[in-house]
Amino acid sequence: MNHSIMIMCEQSEGRILPVTYELIFCASLIADRYDSGITVVLPGNIAGADSISGADLLVINSPGLAEYTCEGWEKAALLAAEQIMPDIIIIAHTSTGYDYAPRVAALLEGGCITSVAGIEFIPDGIRYRRSGFHGKLDLLYKAGKPPLVITVLPGAFPANVQQAEPGTISYINAAIDPVFTSNLQFMIPDQSNTELEHAEVIIAAGKGIGKAENLQMIREMASCFSRSAIAGSRVACDNGWIEYNAQVGLTGKKVAPLLYVACGISGSMQHIVGMKDSKTVVSINRDPDVAIFRHSDICIVEELEKFIPEFIREAEKHTVKGKKQIPIY
Amino acid sequence: MKILVCIKQVPDQESRPTVNQAKTWAGYDENASYWINRYDEHAVEEALRIREMIPKTVVDIVSLGPERVKSAIKRCIEMGADRGFHLYYDHDDYLSPSIKSRLIAEFCKNQEYDLILTGVMSEDMMSGQTGPMIAARLGVPSAASVIKLEINPEKQSIQVERELDSGHRCSMELLLPALVAVQSGINRPRYPSLSNVMRAKNTEITEIRGTVSTSAYEYETVERISEVGFNRTGIRLEGTPAEKAAALWQLLHEKFLL
Ligand SMILES: Cc1cc2nc3c(=O)[nH]c(=O)nc-3n(C[C@H](O)[C@H](O)[C@H](O)COP(=O)(O)OP(=O)(O)OC[C@H]3O[C@@H](n4cnc5c(N)ncnc54)[C@H](O)[C@@H]3O)c2cc1C
Repeated sequence: MNHSIMIMCEQSEGRILPVTYELIFCASLIADRYDSGITVVLPGNIAGADSISGADLLVINSPGLAEYTCEGWEKAALLAAEQIMPDIIIIAHTSTGYDYAPRVAALLEGGCITSVAGIEFIPDGIRYRRSGFHGKLDLLYKAGKPPLVITVLPGAFPANVQQAEPGTISYINAAIDPVFTSNLQFMIPDQSNTELEHAEVIIAAGKGIGKAENLQMIREMASCFSRSAIAGSRVACDNGWIEYNAQVGLTGKKVAPLLYVACGISGSMQHIVGMKDSKTVVSINRDPDVAIFRHSDICIVEELEKFIPEFIREAEKHTVKGKKQIPIY
Repeated sequence: MKILVCIKQVPDQESRPTVNQAKTWAGYDENASYWINRYDEHAVEEALRIREMIPKTVVDIVSLGPERVKSAIKRCIEMGADRGFHLYYDHDDYLSPSIKSRLIAEFCKNQEYDLILTGVMSEDMMSGQTGPMIAARLGVPSAASVIKLEINPEKQSIQVERELDSGHRCSMELLLPALVAVQSGINRPRYPSLSNVMRAKNTEITEIRGTVSTSAYEYETVERISEVGFNRTGIRLEGTPAEKAAALWQLLHEKFLL
């Protein structure tokens, strides 16, 4: 079966975001196997469209697409789908993607699979992989009646930059005008945290630390290492235990220290994207099946309150008196 | 103002899911505990706060699922919600968010809600689809991942602040009726008060048995479930806490980290 694949270009301020090339790579895996057509849809006139190869381009011109609104992007996607008649629509799983993609699926009466982490081919077709059940199990999905909308996790596929044949460009002039929504302001809160950015060792606390008093233990563990800092999962920050400027993950910091120690963190994909490039990952968690273990080099199944004090004692045994490491946090 | 909060009951994340024989879905044994999806609890809290600001506001709760979800709905009434609706649906296989959103949108049709609140996603499946899909089916605007909201009764609108990637934010105004999917950190959900706990005892939860035949739709399905693969070595340390601590120190020392 041949497929018709539509990709929604991910952009910011009129520029193509690199994740778009990852979506194209994902689509090309399907196209290579099934000889399918790929069309990249550009909502609005976006700079750098000539960098896209191996796909046709469809530019939707409309004053209402000057900046992202859920409504505008939804209408653009529906308009494009009418022309392309895709059976697969690929959108990035970003804060824009997950805002409008499920709506597009519902309005086209298609199925929807979000945060896709990979695709597989079996003799009778394509399967889409994502995790579920608190990240403990891998789920392989099959499309129903077309179209299928998928949102693909950033980083799940390499960015396609190799030169392929350039495709055709076509334009639709539309009058898309968001009527229910108006954008007000774009904000970049100051979340700088130089300690965290320069730390070689990060001890991160999750909801599993249970209470603010247990932060002391996390700090002490950090002080066993030089150039260390503490950080937290979103829940640890939401609970007020850790400052938001030390939150690691999708909506926080991306860190890549030599050592990342996750204490009572479950390892949701939103957390993992923020620390997956760490050199060594150690996780301490009392749940033997917890998702974070699949992203860890060393796994310790233990209650934090039991393990961390033991570790601090162990480290102290090896520290020559008066030569204790000085943490930088 | 009439507000609906859609909640999902989710299994405790430390419970172990057991994959069925056909390897198409997983379930939990009787001992597993369930709670309200954390994001949805924030949505309930937000609805209650709006009611405190705007007189004559009614806060309804709806949840789709088997008998046990009644306890989650009850908990929301204990937090202060006015009425509870249970869309009874007993399934032990994958239920597409497309179908869930159909059933909930169907329920909403004659209710004329001004605002529908959901969590940004469920903790267990993390699809984040049901909310936006309900909005699309009702033809109302929606915003996902909202960390601040304010109703403007005169303008019949809601101003929201969305959280974007890397912690950036943007604010926008949506005309009501609208659906807002809230993100954690928007508030601290309250504990039930004694008076609300008493009131909940006498509050009936209305049960609605689905009228939409789900087999008529062919949405995506889960074909196979497997154990997760490991992206790293995943060495497990064994022994007493002290032995594990010594082993970890040794391993980190060998890597020159200590
Ligand atoms: C749009 C969006 C963006 C997000 N962005 C981020 C982000 O940037 N960063 C982020 O971290 N999250 C983010 N999240 C939230 C994310 O999905 C998870 O909810 C969050 O990471 C969970 O935090 P946690 O692991 O600390 O808590 P939980 O998931 O509750 O895990 C707690 C863990 O502690 C363990 N535990 C409990 N008690 C003990 C004990 N005594 N000893 C040992 N272990 C124990 C448990 O087994 C469990 O594994 C985002 C979510 C959304 C929807």
